[in-house]
Amino acid sequence: MLDFFTIFSKGGLVLWCFQGVSDSCTGPVNALIRSVLLQERGGNNSFTHEALTLKYKLDNQFELVFVVGFQKILTLTYVDKLIDDVHRLFRDKYRTEIQQQSALSLLNGTFDFQNDFLRLLREAEESSKIRAPTTMKKYEDSEKAKKPVRSMIETRGEKPKEKAKNSKKKGTKKEGSDGPLATSKATPAEKSSLSVGAENGVELSKEELIRRKREEFIQKHGRGMDKPSKSMKSDAPKEKGKKAPRVWELGGCANKEVLDYSTPTTNGTSEAALSEDINLIRGTGPGGQLQDLDCSSSDDEGAAQNSTKPSATKGTLGGMFGMLKGLVGSKSLSREDMESVLDKMRDHLIAKNVAADIAVQLCESVANKLEGKVMGTFSTVTSTVKQALQESLVQILQPQRRVDMLRDIMDAQRRQRPYVVTFCGVNGVGKSTNLAKISFWLLENGFSVLIAACDTFRAGAVEQLRTHTRRLTALHPPENHGGRTMVQLFEKGYGKDAAGIAMEAIAFARNQGFDVVLVDTAGRMQDNAPLMTALAKLITVNTPDLVLFVGEALVGNEAVDQLVKFNRALADHSMAQTPRLIDGIVLTKFDTIDDKVGAAISMTYITSKPIVFVGTGQTYCDLRSLNAKAVVAALMKA
Amino acid sequence: MASADSRRVGDSGGAGGTFQPYLDSLRQELQQRDPTLLSVLVSLLVVLLTLVLWKFIWSRKSSQRAVLLVGLCDSGKTLLFVRLLTGLYRDTQTSITDSSAVYRVNNNRGNSLTLIDLPGHESLRLQFLERFKSSARAVVFVVDSAAFQREVKDVAEFLYQVLIDSMGLKNTPSFLIACNKQDIAMAKSAKLIQQQLEKELNTLRVTRSAAPSTLDNSSTVPAQLGKKGKEFEFSQLPLKVEFLECSAKGGRGDTGSADIQDLEKWLAKIA
Repeated sequence: MLDFFTIFSKGGLVLWCFQGVSDSCTGPVNALIRSVLLQERGGNNSFTHEALTLKYKLDNQFELVFVVGFQKILTLTYVDKLIDDVHRLFRDKYRTEIQQQSALSLLNGTFDFQNDFLRLLREAEESSKIRAPTTMKKYEDSEKAKKPVRSMIETRGEKPKEKAKNSKKKGTKKEGSDGPLATSKATPAEKSSLSVGAENGVELSKEELIRRKREEFIQKHGRGMDKPSKSMKSDAPKEKGKKAPRVWELGGCANKEVLDYSTPTTNGTSEAALSEDINLIRGTGPGGQLQDLDCSSSDDEGAAQNSTKPSATKGTLGGMFGMLKGLVGSKSLSREDMESVLDKMRDHLIAKNVAADIAVQLCESVANKLEGKVMGTFSTVTSTVKQALQESLVQILQPQRRVDMLRDIMDAQRRQRPYVVTFCGVNGVGKSTNLAKISFWLLENGFSVLIAACDTFRAGAVEQLRTHTRRLTALHPPENHGGRTMVQLFEKGYGKDAAGIAMEAIAFARNQGFDVVLVDTAGRMQDNAPLMTALAKLITVNTPDLVLFVGEALVGNEAVDQLVKFNRALADHSMAQTPRLIDGIVLTKFDTIDDKVGAAISMTYITSKPIVFVGTGQTYCDLRSLNAKAVVAALMKA
Repeated sequence: MASADSRRVGDSGGAGGTFQPYLDSLRQELQQRDPTLLSVLVSLLVVLLTLVLWKFIWSRKSSQRAVLLVGLCDSGKTLLFVRLLTGLYRDTQTSITDSSAVYRVNNNRGNSLTLIDLPGHESLRLQFLERFKSSARAVVFVVDSAAFQREVKDVAEFLYQVLIDSMGLKNTPSFLIACNKQDIAMAKSAKLIQQQLEKELNTLRVTRSAAPSTLDNSSTVPAQLGKKGKEFEFSQLPLKVEFLECSAKGGRGDTGSADIQDLEKWLAKIA
């Protein structure tokens, strides 16, 4: 029932392969490698690709990967166990070949694993079938038969109780006022009441139980029951004579004196008290002037140094002992060893403004990559984990596709059509500012730019772009470029449809021979469905060459939400087979964060698209490109 | 003895006085019949020197023996690696780490080289190149000739990066651009690939130097490839760059042998 099972080395050599169907297995496995292992999403060990589910296991000691693929619609329970068994057997059988450093032993060794594998597969399949079908209980064995007949006789008095209990159950089901306890008790109780037998004896005790539990619950969560108490009050007319009316401390007959918590002072005394505090309010600094930031920052540094000193000494002691431990023989890393270090690294990453989910996933992936690895003699657990984390962070920040806008613009120039770039993002991240910076950069490189003002909503958006255009024209007047206007604004005022303006702008650029069109859109929140639809429509209709998402470096966990929702909106509203998603990220306000550069990691991890530009200020020259090593160094710095 | 030392310290002043007691004790040691302290020191020094020399020689020996196989993803590096070492055909997957093995060159002297196959995936290739470039004696850049037309920009970008890195090394390695997958009908010839790459690198020089500077202003102006003002040609580079055609899969797929004689001859030449 398996489609395929492959064992290959991390260097790329397929050591052994079993193919249940005739399709080749290289395609899905390559997709697995590229999307999971290389993008550090190796937390959970399964992956779906088209119609197949792929489960994999890494052997970090011998650098092997075990992958099994089966149809997505099947739910095979024995697969995990099968992989573990195969891994163990393969490792033990071919230990000498896979242990060596050189790849020659892998190449020359013959891995005749077919029979063993088929045997293991058969065992696994049989073990999953072994569970016998559960036989139904006979009547004599059930609880009902054991009860005396007397308890099942209904009497007059108990009937209304049953009715009230049923209605109460309905009420609790609707509002859940008693919290989870009552509803969980209600559903099995309801089930038993639906069954025909009036097992009143049993139900009575259950009722008592419910009441007792409710009282306990109220005792525990006394005040917090205000809201549900209101709903319970509406419930009260249904439940006739069920409970005594409650008396709330502050509800119902509250009088103003009880509620008045102000201190009983007259005006004079309160003023006197105020004058005493005026000096405190004023503070001790110079009144009019604003103090520099340096004084307080040095205090912080001193405090930080003091706090780090004892931890550093503790760290060195621990490091020394760890080193000594590591000197004695080479041991393989297990999850428990890495647990504490990974927790610390995860907290460190979160402190550096990486989104919490992503930090967790990253650490999971690093743990997966390092489990079972044999450390060198002079390395501690901490250093190995830090090294691996650093490598995976650099790996994430490396662009998966080429980042060279100038080259693509030259291509478009040759084809006599303008290169269209669209900027999108939430409100206030710096779209217009960075658009101006990028157009300055393009002008410096000799390309003519048309700015399309498709932000028809925000007050002053068009004027802002007009000011930028004026300044840029002053910097690059037509006289310097042979009479050609290098930068121009295309705007149609406010309130119009952005997609229509963009289309007209592109047509205008093509007619007038502009090289680049920069489309500025209005900022919009990712939850705002109509605005996201409008953005998706703009992008689908105009098919820009580059869709840049502008995000600020200050954002924390929000980054994940923004990017996911933007991408989803673009994917949902696109008609094409392969929808246009975000192609690149512009990270702005980078000068406001010192070394809390985690937003870069969050954004590239979510979209796996590169960071094309980094904005570091509000002047035209504050445009940089990302340097992965520097960012990772800042991130890993203690 | 101690009092004599202190008196002498008292007599002379200044900086020399601090060394005086040590010099005196050294002189006394030398004069003694069995200078234990001194002999221990001398023996330690000799051992240290030997270690340093040995390490130096060892590193010299193994440093320049590596041949790196680099290239884009799916260009056939791992299969080429397998063919060179064993001559057999093996299925391969995308490599996520490097593989290395000793390759015995078939020339008269029977030298051996270390073949290192680096992963070509975008997120890994620069890291591994950094790690191994210092030990490179030669670099083989593998190009997928069939998909070249589509990928020319990516190939050129990676090639530019590798060239810049190689030129920055102390002993510039020999360079070979192997146009792989010649068994496919639509494969481009080496000459055509050379022309296209020269054109592409010509434009890349301009765009790369015009890119915005990096965050920490660490990247200085990148080394200029070739001569300014003239069209870029591979002959303008300080390294020796050669082109040749090969096919790792061979004419008959997994059963036949690969068409890599030229590659083997080149490896024999540079060994």
